Amino acid sequence: MIGLWKRWKALEALGIMGINRRNADYVLKYNKRSLYPIVDDKIITKQRAIEAGIHVPEMYGVISTEKEIDKLDEIIGERTDFVIKPAQGAGGDGILVIADRFEDRYKTVSGKIVSHEEIEHQISSILTGLYSLGGHRDRALIEYRVTPDQIFKSISYEGVPDIRIIVLMGYPVMAMLRLPTRQSGGKANLHQGAIGVGVDLATGITLKGTWLNAKITKHPDTTNAVDGVQLPNWDGFMRLAAGCYELCGLGYIGVDMVLDQDKGPLILELNARPGLNIQIANDCGLTLRTHAVEAHLAQLAEQDVQESPEERVRFAQSLFGHVPNKD
Amino acid sequence: MRSLTLHLKVLITVLVTLGVLITAYQIFILGIPVTEDETDDLWNIDAKVEFVATPHEPVKVQMFVPPLNQNYVSLNESFISNNYGVSINRTGDNRKVTWSARRAKGNQTLYYRLVLTKRYSGEQLKPKGPIFRDEQIPVDGPEKIAAEALMAPIRQHSADVETFVGETIKRVNNVNDDNVKLLLGGDQSTVNKARVVDLLLSIAHVPMERVHTLRLIADQPQNPELWLRSFNGDKWLYFNPETGEQGLPADRLMWWTGDEPLVTLDGGKKIQVNFTLNNSEMNAIRLAKLTDENTDVDFLEYSLYGLPLQTQQTYQIMIMIPIGVLVILILRNLIGLQTLGTFTPVLIALAFRETQLGFGIALFTLITALGLSLRSYLEHLKLQMLPRLSVVLTFVVVLIAVISLLSHKLGLERGLSVALFPMVILTMTIERLSITWEERGAGHAMKVAIGTLFAATLAHLLMMVPQLVYFVFTFPAILLVMVGFMLAMGRYRGYRLTELFRFKAFLKD
Repeated sequence: MIGLWKRWKALEALGIMGINRRNADYVLKYNKRSLYPIVDDKIITKQRAIEAGIHVPEMYGVISTEKEIDKLDEIIGERTDFVIKPAQGAGGDGILVIADRFEDRYKTVSGKIVSHEEIEHQISSILTGLYSLGGHRDRALIEYRVTPDQIFKSISYEGVPDIRIIVLMGYPVMAMLRLPTRQSGGKANLHQGAIGVGVDLATGITLKGTWLNAKITKHPDTTNAVDGVQLPNWDGFMRLAAGCYELCGLGYIGVDMVLDQDKGPLILELNARPGLNIQIANDCGLTLRTHAVEAHLAQLAEQDVQESPEERVRFAQSLFGHVPNKD
Repeated sequence: MRSLTLHLKVLITVLVTLGVLITAYQIFILGIPVTEDETDDLWNIDAKVEFVATPHEPVKVQMFVPPLNQNYVSLNESFISNNYGVSINRTGDNRKVTWSARRAKGNQTLYYRLVLTKRYSGEQLKPKGPIFRDEQIPVDGPEKIAAEALMAPIRQHSADVETFVGETIKRVNNVNDDNVKLLLGGDQSTVNKARVVDLLLSIAHVPMERVHTLRLIADQPQNPELWLRSFNGDKWLYFNPETGEQGLPADRLMWWTGDEPLVTLDGGKKIQVNFTLNNSEMNAIRLAKLTDENTDVDFLEYSLYGLPLQTQQTYQIMIMIPIGVLVILILRNLIGLQTLGTFTPVLIALAFRETQLGFGIALFTLITALGLSLRSYLEHLKLQMLPRLSVVLTFVVVLIAVISLLSHKLGLERGLSVALFPMVILTMTIERLSITWEERGAGHAMKVAIGTLFAATLAHLLMMVPQLVYFVFTFPAILLVMVGFMLAMGRYRGYRLTELFRFKAFLKD
């Protein structure tokens, strides 16, 4: 009992954010309920992003009724690789990534051969709301398949690694690189077994990682070291993430981005309830950083100044960069 | 944000205060018992009046009956008498019943029956009484001298009315004293002692009244017991005329006061009154309800006890649901237990009501396991969600029917209770569990399933505690306190217990 209390105090001193604090102080405080559809529905997110001039994977088509499933062939056309996603899916569930065509069949990114019927069943499941939050009817989204930049080949197993940056009121506070593992089935969600690797906000150099709540330094599948990798175009990612506040109006979000080998940084989706394991990946608590941002915001409010995304990135990089293990 | 916090604090304070105050009012002012086990004695007093009527003469029997303005309340009072007219009249503190008949012959028997219990509520009337008396009982000759001889030491040994009366009674009971002997005149009965005490007190102008009480003790024949009382300006002081002890024991019921005999008879002879008492115990709240009907305090009128009995039973279940929800809230937000859905455990807990806990868990596990295997088979058929769910639901119904049939054949009546086990809850549990299984793996699904069962079990056990059910049902205002707690939980930002383990990687260095 006393041990637990000490642990509580130690975690508090490190500024580790718990789910209750995240919900009460950040999600409920900064995220207006009415804006949730923008992030919960990937189609709306995409449309908003396109309007704002933010790069996203190209959308090939949307299927919203059973009847429209017939149009699948038309939407796919001659493309050999594409991704089918539920518009309101949560946690990466229900996503089908087709990497290649194989006569009349398709090959998923993990090498599994699927027939056209199976794809149609998958879309039908998506439409009935199997993967959506709360089981509502949903739409299926067919989009460009991101080809990850070669840089990730060395540390990644398969699937698309993505970059998650937590953004508070437009200020990036913490970043992590999410690498799929054999266990996660090509998905980049930590709770499914992907690993998270902390990223220094100032330089874009990777730090140590987390896998299933533990700290790690090597990828469990490739055994390559995950730290010390310079992510390319890091300032581009930071600006993209900072700009997402204007895009959706939500004050506390996780921005998921990928680095496509042809198109550069792209926004995949926004998350209004970003997970907390990013703290283990960075070996740093979120609360201290969010408090610093909130103090800065209060100061700005007094001076009646609003900062541009570039200024916000610079602020975050100067405060949270360089010595991420200590602050 | 700050104003919101203040708003919330005020709201919580108001709710909790209101809840506590209402509950305290119910407990302390209305006197509603806190536990159901509290039973109260219910006294059944029969006074049997027997006499021989004189032929050709009208008969009139007058008997004192308890005034019932003290600590007891009557639930039922009846006068059983053939061909007699009955009337009741109040004189001062007393109540008198008069039976009368134009003509009666031979042995007559009248009954007076009173069912009473301790008074639950209501303010006590402020007692009133004389504090001084003018008239002295006339006495002269040697008796006057004896009385005055006795008075001197009494005056010396007393400070106020209480000690004066006590001292007087003690002196009178000292039968070896010559003065006392003279005054008693050889008759050492209590009545006679009381008369002497009265005489002495009248000389000192101290008012005194005779009180005739009945002792509430079952199955013992008894006669009214004489007590003396005197008013000290604030309250009545009761004295035992035999010992001078002050204070009326709690089990004494005041029957009448004054010097008159219990019963008077015109037109007859050999009158005799016998008392029989017996008591039964009764659930306190039912008793309170009964007395409620006989008093003007209708505090139960607007409580849940005012509902028809069947509705009450439904509400007894319903009003416990917030308790179950509270359990889930604590388990999820404070402990960090993972459950299927938010309130599924509460629904399962309600289902356990019908099946009993052990059997319910076994059933839940069995049906869910079978349902999951069916669900995984259906997965191969690539069915859409709604048809698939329908198939699973039908399967669950069939499964429950089979279990009922089998257990019936085996002579296990328990199996029949399953019939109402909510099938939809089971179906949804199976569906959600299978999705969790597919997406998060078997380990996570097991964890969630066990978490759900654990939460349901805990909620069920709590919702079934009879004392708790009684308490919440009787004092529904306690729900306000719970809402206050829930509101406070709404802004709780500390760690969950499981997070202390989840983040333990931070503390390894």
